[in-house]
Amino acid sequence: MRESGRHALVNETRGRLLLRAVVLVAPVLALEAARPDDVPHRWFVALTLALAVGFAAMPESPFGTACLGLVVIWWALASANGVPVGAIPAALLLLAAHVAAVLLAYGPPGLPIGTPVLLLWLRRGAVVAVAVPLLWLLAVAVDGQPEPPGIWVAGLGCAIVICVVAATAVSTGQEKA
Amino acid sequence: MRGRWRPTPALARAVVVAAIAVVAAVVSASPAVLLLGAPFVLLATLGLLHRPDSSPTVEATLDHRWLHEGQGTTSRLRIVAAADVEHVARAMAPTPYVALHPPNGLVAGLVAGADDAPPEIEVGPRRWGRRVLGQEQVCLTTPWAGYRWGPVSLPGDSVRVLPHMRQFASRAETPRPVGLVGVNRSPRLGAGVEFADIRPFRPGDRLRRISWRVSVRSRELHVTTSPSEEDSGVLLVLDALGDHGHSGGLDGEASSLDQSVRAAAAVAEHHVGAGDRVGLRIVGGDGGLVGYGAGTRHLRVLLDQLAGVQPRELPEGVVERLQLRVTGGSVVLVFSPMLDPAIVTATAGLVQRALPVVVIDTLPPGATPRVPDGVDPRIADLAWRMRRLERDQVLVQLAALGCPVIPWRGAGTLDDVLRRLARRATVPQVALR
Repeated sequence: MRESGRHALVNETRGRLLLRAVVLVAPVLALEAARPDDVPHRWFVALTLALAVGFAAMPESPFGTACLGLVVIWWALASANGVPVGAIPAALLLLAAHVAAVLLAYGPPGLPIGTPVLLLWLRRGAVVAVAVPLLWLLAVAVDGQPEPPGIWVAGLGCAIVICVVAATAVSTGQEKA
Repeated sequence: MRGRWRPTPALARAVVVAAIAVVAAVVSASPAVLLLGAPFVLLATLGLLHRPDSSPTVEATLDHRWLHEGQGTTSRLRIVAAADVEHVARAMAPTPYVALHPPNGLVAGLVAGADDAPPEIEVGPRRWGRRVLGQEQVCLTTPWAGYRWGPVSLPGDSVRVLPHMRQFASRAETPRPVGLVGVNRSPRLGAGVEFADIRPFRPGDRLRRISWRVSVRSRELHVTTSPSEEDSGVLLVLDALGDHGHSGGLDGEASSLDQSVRAAAAVAEHHVGAGDRVGLRIVGGDGGLVGYGAGTRHLRVLLDQLAGVQPRELPEGVVERLQLRVTGGSVVLVFSPMLDPAIVTATAGLVQRALPVVVIDTLPPGATPRVPDGVDPRIADLAWRMRRLERDQVLVQLAALGCPVIPWRGAGTLDDVLRRLARRATVPQVALR
């Protein structure tokens, strides 16, 4: 396993190594983006880094989900109130890690990432990333205003419905295929 | 080849991270967390929206199945029902003596547009023989990387690789032309174009052959004569009793069988081009016999037979009874490293029948034996040196019998030897029967 991993790294192109570096560094930087208001505990950073290493080595593994999910959970614990500016770079870094992992997962180690594919995903990433500052502006605009009663309960209901629909869609797709 | 669509781990990751972010945002009443999850919500939604409903099939084909060493062809992928496919990745396993481009056999590309052809892999065999390409893995992906088809395995195609015919030309005529039409001067007089003699006119001579100048001077009709031009029978005997040395393909080292096959192919092409009748006898391996023939189609048959040569020793009982079955009037060219007693005995037998035989020594100068596992390399080296000394002795004895032994040097290898054989053919000989 170790030999095959070393062999895969030796055969990697420079572009793919760069993408792996993005996958490795971006989640940790997303944690650090909360500074100076919130400082993540060093054990938390170490755990994220360990998961990021697994994510960078095996972009299709559950390490990726765990790593990105951990960062999201830490942000939920750290920033209970307000909309810090640091959330924007954090969101963009998580997006970059995910897109880099998608590009790496298109083929086996050593498969060069073609320029058209790279440009396509840069465009897609940019389009998706536009939602982050827009949402931040919206959040800043409504921050501090009185909340309608039951808004968070309704939000939670919506979230559950979305999750159920998404999970159903994925499982139906699997059965059909 | 059929596969099935499955959600990618990237889609699963986007869905899970989006769900975690939304739930965490709601539970902790933190809009900042929703900010982190927003891109994943979009990515998951777009991935799910492109859920495929087609059933693609893929097939890889080669542009050419018959190639010469050093030539190349292209492996193309054909995708049926590719409506949902955005990206194609191909990985071809490496094959001995086959060069791939790209070298690692990995290609990928977008096929979103109707004009986009799936990525191609260039294939270039570097050694003669039947080459079966490595297994190929193909993987298709939908837009936004939501679903993946495969990877599915495609069996490797086979390519028949004909030996490379290194430039070979010979200006020497083949001795003993006994055919009908060719380019070799026959000892018999006939309707050739070269001047041979002037003699008195005899009934039946053609009038256009009258030499008027000589006739006027001698006051008697004289005609010019010329040797007839006929084709020869050339038998190529290939020793496939073993393969000595290391084969590095067309650009690398050549083993004894490489040299034999390529030399035989080059000589066959030369003689077929000159209108001679060429036959082939493979000694060893699966055997093989191609009768005398001429023309391009016959050359193709010869090359195909050469491409199928496999080195193997003869069965026990056959070694003592090995007969090359050469008809009289043929020139025999033996391509061999002369390391097996069977081929040496058979060659000596032909020489004793007063047939013109030429041995083309195809043992590479620096050939070393393959040392089997468990054998002391020093003992193997000693045995190999002794074997080579015996071989040198055999070659000297063959030369003493009147059989020239020459190393293969490409163009002009046979010129001198064939001229000497042609001269010898005009001298009366006593043949042992």
